[in-house]
Amino acid sequence: MAKKTYDLLFKLLLIGDSGVGKTCILFRFSDNHFTTTFISTIGIDFKIKTVELRGKKIKLQIWDTAGQERFHTITTSYYRGAMGIMLVYDITNEKTFDDIVKWLRNIDEHANEDVEKMILGNKCDMEEKRVVSKERGEAIAREHGIRFMETSAKANINIDRAFSELAEAILDKTSGREADADHARIAVERRPSRAPPARACCS
Amino acid sequence: MSEVENKVVPVESEEKDYVEDGKNKLIVKCKFCGSKILDKKSAKYITLEKELPLMQQDNNRKEGEIQNESVNEFYHVENMYTFENIGFTHTVANCKYLSCADCDAGPVGYYDMETKHSYVAISRIVHA
Repeated sequence: MAKKTYDLLFKLLLIGDSGVGKTCILFRFSDNHFTTTFISTIGIDFKIKTVELRGKKIKLQIWDTAGQERFHTITTSYYRGAMGIMLVYDITNEKTFDDIVKWLRNIDEHANEDVEKMILGNKCDMEEKRVVSKERGEAIAREHGIRFMETSAKANINIDRAFSELAEAILDKTSGREADADHARIAVERRPSRAPPARACCS
Repeated sequence: MSEVENKVVPVESEEKDYVEDGKNKLIVKCKFCGSKILDKKSAKYITLEKELPLMQQDNNRKEGEIQNESVNEFYHVENMYTFENIGFTHTVANCKYLSCADCDAGPVGYYDMETKHSYVAISRIVHA
């Protein structure tokens, strides 16, 4: 058995209506400098990315829903083992934003209760077509005590940052759990996780 | 240097300047964007004959046709979490193809669904 070359492994999922750009978050063929015809035909199942946080080497395994975006098809088995969920809507499509609430309910029903969530308003490079304001995104995130960020997979805005922040949030939780392992589990009041300071995503 | 000394050195590492102790001596990176795929000394050097689809398929090829080439030098990765950054495609005929996690270039190798081992094609990466 080869020695372990990392400290932690986090499984992350991308969830949201179809067309919000989940696949582009995972698979950026659109703005590629050359066309990987073969890979784009088959599509990506998952990726492994390595990040370093607080001196720890963390492997992220990131899964796409691969077109099974209807609520009834995403059930417990899909969520199994997931430690983080990126909940994605499209800022140019009202319905995808409205569905965030349904997705949150689906997560509550099927995912591990302490799964770390983050809401992403994607396609923020398409300002002229925007129908969901950033404030509304921030508001719903605040209401549910979830982190929020606007991203553009196409323009590669905030994508890496979103993954690092989600990983960091899981790390916070994990290290807390390790430290408390000897004690009986006490329900600790969850600090309402503030949405990160609004950073202008696209000008 | 005496001939006796040379004999104890495995043939492969003698021939390949990127192989040391049967492993990748250097960091393995994407040819196109430089994304780090493997850390140094994390994968075994092996030779095997495998047909891999070309990274760039001819646009004028017949519909449904896939252009392959034979590749014979690989880095063998037993545990997928050994990778620094890598993408796995959906499954095709009991294998997943490997692609760059940052620019999606590929296939840079394949993953065998049965053994769960990965193979990185040395001709499709760069060392650093």
